[in-house]
Amino acid sequence: MSNLKEALKNGKFPVTSEIGPPKGTNVEHEIEAAVKIKDKVTAVNVTDLQSAVMRVGSLAVCRLLKERGVEPVLQVTCRDRNRISLQSELLSAAILGIENVLCLTGDHIVLGDQKEARPVFDLDSVQLLKAVSDLNSGVDMEGHELDGTPDLFPGAVVTPEFEPLDLQLIKMKKKIDAGAQFFQTQAVYDTDKFKAFMDKVSQYNVPVMAGIVLLKSAGMAKFMNENVAGVFVPDNLIEEMKNTAKEDRKKKAVEIAARIIGEVKDCCQGIHIMPLGWNDVVSNIVEQSELG
Amino acid sequence: MHATIQKPMEEILSFLRPGEKVFVFGCSNCAMKCHSGGPEETKRMAERLKKKGVEVTGFVAPPEGASLCKLSLVQKMVGENKAEVDAADSFVVLACGQGFHTVVDATEGGLVHPGCDTIFGGETVRDDLINEYCSLCGECIADLTGGLCPLTLCAKGLLNGPCGGAKDGKCEADTNRDCGWVLIYERLKSLGRLENIEAYQTPKNNAKWSRLRSLDVGATVSTFHSLAGERTISQEND
Repeated sequence: MSNLKEALKNGKFPVTSEIGPPKGTNVEHEIEAAVKIKDKVTAVNVTDLQSAVMRVGSLAVCRLLKERGVEPVLQVTCRDRNRISLQSELLSAAILGIENVLCLTGDHIVLGDQKEARPVFDLDSVQLLKAVSDLNSGVDMEGHELDGTPDLFPGAVVTPEFEPLDLQLIKMKKKIDAGAQFFQTQAVYDTDKFKAFMDKVSQYNVPVMAGIVLLKSAGMAKFMNENVAGVFVPDNLIEEMKNTAKEDRKKKAVEIAARIIGEVKDCCQGIHIMPLGWNDVVSNIVEQSELG
Repeated sequence: MHATIQKPMEEILSFLRPGEKVFVFGCSNCAMKCHSGGPEETKRMAERLKKKGVEVTGFVAPPEGASLCKLSLVQKMVGENKAEVDAADSFVVLACGQGFHTVVDATEGGLVHPGCDTIFGGETVRDDLINEYCSLCGECIADLTGGLCPLTLCAKGLLNGPCGGAKDGKCEADTNRDCGWVLIYERLKSLGRLENIEAYQTPKNNAKWSRLRSLDVGATVSTFHSLAGERTISQEND
């Protein structure tokens, strides 16, 4: 059983972080950043070609993390591969000793840097979760028996600030029915909305880890609002960042993150930090939020 | 109907070799509605080509309302314009890809240049607005989604939508467009059938959508051939 699975199962309130592989072969920097925090977090997500930008794949980096003693979470999106390739990727993960798999739809091609590529989406995230369930039970999606069964720990994403929320909840239930055993949310900024969301979903008894996206600057917050799917930074936080001197930005980012965590930690089962490159402050956030 | 838009003149000219004589075909149905290849546009194209120094032997569009994509009709048109058609080295076709290929057949493998890009199947909402609502996937599931096709209205074609990317009800891929799944949700809510999207949708059978496909048509029995096999439907003996 993976550490993440064990921690969520036993209500240990795990913290996970995230790295994004580079566009090129210089992966050492990202891997080092993950290794540095391996005692502060239970696992580290490796994004799958996030924002549809071509980069090193998640699978290879996950394996390298594992070899350096960091438990990875393999993110798999449906944008670039058909069902044959996706099931294969899951089996590949299993033989490389990777257990945690986060199943996502994937950002659309047009958001990335290869805008003429063909969007695949042969499966959506719900169907991908079903594929994991099938493989875990010893068959592929068509019911053919496997020669060796994986034991993957599948998770999914939910966007607590999506409107209409009802539609996200319908899909969340489908993800649970298809086999999702944990959730990491998109960025939480409105803690009241998040608490209301958790009220609605606690009945499902599936652990939810609140997603915390670091605010690095007002400009970056505005950029995310306009360009990054699923992120809605409210005006009051943009103002707070605007009124922060440049040299204090990291401190402010940590303060805001810790503040949000403080407000939500009693209503969820873990925290997922997306430091967007500021991996060096993950430890500070964990400490300041008294999650250590 | 098939929505088409003319190719730019530079591109059409790039298809032609020096001295190549052309005859122009138009279409009096879909391309006429799109103003890309109706009788007026066809006549105008002949004039525009002549102005660019191209020798145009003639031009023709079907009788009003008729589509170019009917082989027997185009064969008739070829016969009625025999001298000009014979004098031409090639044919510029202002119609959708189906009409274009009908000219290939009717001229028995003549050299045909597409004068239009065929974009999608659409609803003529107004004279100046054609919207795409169907992706010709061969396996209609729109009954489940209140008549709104998720393959066509969702940029990712999700069957268990939405994704998490919509903002203010707008699609992450095109913020000028509504999120298809928000539209579906609102439609089903108003129809009192939200339970339709609470059920898991299995992945699409792409064998019915990807090429190669054909249709045998009979008065009461028809067969759809695709890589998924044959699907024969009879309207008798229910």
